[in-house]
Amino acid sequence: MPKWLPKDNLIKFINQVSAHAALFAQQSFYGHYHLVPVKEWQVDKHTFGAYRPFEPLKSVFFPPRESLGSLFQPNSDKDQPDRIVFGVKNCDLQSLRVHDYVFLHSDPIDPEYSRLREKTMLFTFDCTDCLEICFCTAVGEQPFPKSGFDINFSPLPDGFILESGSVRGETILTKCAPLLEEATASQMAERDAQRQNLSQRIARQATEKGLKPGLDFQKAVRNTQESALWKKYAADCVECGACNMACCTCHCFLLVDGLSAAGNNDRVKQWDSCLYRNFARVAGGANPRPLRAERLYNRFDKKFNFFKDKLGTYACDGCGRCIEACTGKIDIRDVLAEALHES
Amino acid sequence: MNPKLYLPIAATLEKVVEETHNIKTFFLTPSSPLAFLAGQFVELTVPGVGEAPFTPSSSPAISDRLEITIMRAGTVTERLHALAPGARIGIRGPLGQPYPLDLFQGKEILIAGGGVGLAPLRALLFALFEDIGKYKKIIVRYGARSPEDIVYRQAVEKAWNKADALDVMTTVDKGNAFWTGHTGVVTSILDKNKLKINPAAAVAVVCGPPIMMKFTTLKLLEIGFDPDAIYLSMEKNMSCGVGKCGHCRLGPYYACKEGPVFTYRQIMDLPKIWE
Repeated sequence: MPKWLPKDNLIKFINQVSAHAALFAQQSFYGHYHLVPVKEWQVDKHTFGAYRPFEPLKSVFFPPRESLGSLFQPNSDKDQPDRIVFGVKNCDLQSLRVHDYVFLHSDPIDPEYSRLREKTMLFTFDCTDCLEICFCTAVGEQPFPKSGFDINFSPLPDGFILESGSVRGETILTKCAPLLEEATASQMAERDAQRQNLSQRIARQATEKGLKPGLDFQKAVRNTQESALWKKYAADCVECGACNMACCTCHCFLLVDGLSAAGNNDRVKQWDSCLYRNFARVAGGANPRPLRAERLYNRFDKKFNFFKDKLGTYACDGCGRCIEACTGKIDIRDVLAEALHES
Repeated sequence: MNPKLYLPIAATLEKVVEETHNIKTFFLTPSSPLAFLAGQFVELTVPGVGEAPFTPSSSPAISDRLEITIMRAGTVTERLHALAPGARIGIRGPLGQPYPLDLFQGKEILIAGGGVGLAPLRALLFALFEDIGKYKKIIVRYGARSPEDIVYRQAVEKAWNKADALDVMTTVDKGNAFWTGHTGVVTSILDKNKLKINPAAAVAVVCGPPIMMKFTTLKLLEIGFDPDAIYLSMEKNMSCGVGKCGHCRLGPYYACKEGPVFTYRQIMDLPKIWE
């Protein structure tokens, strides 16, 4: 049953659940929400964010640079503390379907990802606002989570509706029972209206960009491989890879060897970009995608065709981060709209 | 397999044999036995430099000592070629899918190799020799750029040619004063009548540079092979080797995971497979 957390009890709740866990939350600076580790919750600093932060959630499980240790002396398994990420939004939550598929559900399991995922609880939040670039409704999502969270928070003016989505989430709600009340039908109705309003607002702004809900992006991408549109947009691509780094679903990485500061031969797993010229190049020089247009197409093919076949969903959750990040001002919504138009 | 998915185990370089001016065979002893099946690959690490994928060329029946034939082609191979016996390197694997030998049983097997592409096919031959009675006929057709570029020269010219169970023929693109064999690209020795093969009851296994694989495949289709019966080793940038890093994607597949050996049927409709 949904619970009600009065606003006055929020800090008590945070302190209670975080007594034995490391926290992540959001912090607003330089015009963005940022995903930050929290040592001690400060009410004037830490927030849950009205929409997703600048940094993708994947960085919590799949760090930008992860040392795997010395070649023949791997890192010993450190004691990983429990962690809680506060304020996760649905786009980021859904992006974990891609990472779970790659690192957990496809044999062999990535041990580090698995460990971090296991030890991390996700406290999701309904979005209460959106950015102009948000378009989750176009890829079959909505600005609030339906499943996959431990506890979801729906903020209302005087408090929060809390729902558990896992056994460990339910356990926490039970432990915190003295701080909680039963959510009332009118609170639920208010929450639903709020959700509907924001969903409609996002659907409206995405539709204005040519992306109404329910469009078939897989077909659009499949049918336009030979189109000149990829060349047109690739003309503005400077191969910086920012779209991949910012993306909540991009999972590609590179294994890099080199000398550590201590003088050991170390291996690092670091994020990679399929827009980089040498991404698929082999020794000897052969390159299946020598042209930027081919690499740009490949990015869309992977997101809207490959993963649609493998997972049944796009590897895009409409977070708009690539639009924000692109140095060449390539807007994924324009590319998709044009591909739809041509298909 | 090391439980640390992306880290190698150590291996000692025991011996290096120079095959041609740019190809060497490396004899390795892994710190613990590494059992592989023909067609599977490993990642070799030159400490401090990086990792690259190679298919062992020795018998899959032997797991405590591996032979890997490597052409100097890039950063890692350049450094491998500079190593002397005694060097410690890293090895990770086995990775990928092996040749489906159970599907080869009772069939005629045509093995077509180009250049250093004969290396994985040598491991396949060793595997076939283990149970030679199960296969109807084994034909090897090998093309090298010149007589100086032929790998496993001793084996190709002496042992394999004399083995009753094997029908071996080598061709070179360009001969020299001492070359008495066939001259021409490998497709020129894939004539249906001269091969004495029944494509309907045969499989073809092809490994070589992309251009060789492309024209060999076209030739095999021309002489009646079904796309399901042509096995190709696809060269892709296989980095993590376990289907996670994304570099070696080939349409719906990861070459490192579903491959590196694919039937032509699996990939024939994908764009630009030979590039």
